[in-house]
Amino acid sequence: MTTVPAERLGYRSMTGPWHSNDLDALLRRVAQRDADAFATFYDHTRTRVYGLVARVLRDFGYSEETTQEVYLEVWRTAGAFDSAKGSALSWLMTMAHRRAIDRVRAEQAATQRESRYGATAVEPSGDVVVESVLATDERRRVAECLDGLTDIQRQCIEMAYYGGFTYAEVSQRLSANLSTIKSRMRDALRGLRHCLGVP
Amino acid sequence: MTEPTDFELLELATPYALHAVSEAERVAIERQLAVAPPSVAEAFRDEVRAVCETMTAVSAATAAEPPSRLRAAVLAAVQPSVARRSRWRTALLAAAAAIVVGLAAFGAGIALRPAPKPTMAEQIMAATDVRTVSGQLSGGTATVVFSRNMNAGVLVMNNVPPPTQGTVYQMWLIGDNGPTSAGTMNTAAVAPSTTDLLTNLRNSSALAFTIEPGTGSPQPTGKILAKLPLS
Repeated sequence: MTTVPAERLGYRSMTGPWHSNDLDALLRRVAQRDADAFATFYDHTRTRVYGLVARVLRDFGYSEETTQEVYLEVWRTAGAFDSAKGSALSWLMTMAHRRAIDRVRAEQAATQRESRYGATAVEPSGDVVVESVLATDERRRVAECLDGLTDIQRQCIEMAYYGGFTYAEVSQRLSANLSTIKSRMRDALRGLRHCLGVP
Repeated sequence: MTEPTDFELLELATPYALHAVSEAERVAIERQLAVAPPSVAEAFRDEVRAVCETMTAVSAATAAEPPSRLRAAVLAAVQPSVARRSRWRTALLAAAAAIVVGLAAFGAGIALRPAPKPTMAEQIMAATDVRTVSGQLSGGTATVVFSRNMNAGVLVMNNVPPPTQGTVYQMWLIGDNGPTSAGTMNTAAVAPSTTDLLTNLRNSSALAFTIEPGTGSPQPTGKILAKLPLS
């Protein structure tokens, strides 16, 4: 598989106006109990964390609480971050997503999520999303890559990643067998990865 | 005959990385990974890493500005308490100071010795079931970080104005048998950023705040200013 140079697709800028190395360094200072570094880390990452959490939870109160929990977890587990295993932002976003998914599964029965998913599928996701000045270009690029997926690939990602459904629940709801859903998810991720130039 | 299992395991890398597996499956996958051949485990981890980095790039599309009060609440949990002129390095220790002050008030001099074990606040922060709840209180914010397993929580109040002279804020744990006092804060105790420890949460469903005359009341007499659900 050929890959387009990451810089040309702006993967570097995907992590925002700072270098990902800087975030790694900040996180190492957070691990040393540096409260100033923690504040800077929060300032650089808050829109990503809160935005993702709010997209999953669709509730302002829950989103604020969960975002707080995410950063408390950052504070107490920063020492476990290993830059050899991935970027600091990825470490953070993975943690944020897991907490948001845990919360949405705890708070809302699958049927509620289903009706909510139905509602969000027909309208743009902008209702809780406040436009970030810096993010417009990145947002557009990601939207283009999402548009490049097939409908079923995109549905799988939306239901699982934002809706909190397991792949088995997705397979039931889309009346497709399990291995098909797993393949669609994998294909969707490969397509996105390639399109976004993620190394 | 490990091939089919290994293949099935690798097929699950993407759903696993998307957190799109059930809790039981997650545990099973991790158990299987621990005994999988190194090459399979490495391929699985590579896939997970790629999925996480990709979805991190996708998160540019959902970026949204949180309310500004969130910053204060997040940072309060880790900042030294300025008002106490605390020399403690972190807020966790600042919260521990509140415990020491509280215990000293009851004459428990032993608490003045440096604690060799993790403090209660540190244990709460480290608890696997740690939860956070916030609410408005008299124009400021009250946040409780709590753990049911620890049966305790840390209260952080930001920009809550002190009660008028001669009155106190009183905290109430609301349980099956009604409210139980969880302590008071007088004018001197309430600073721009104040922390306190809540113990014995038991099965209480909420933490409520009232203003009470003097040094507090056995039962709430003032109206409930804020009620934070502890669920």
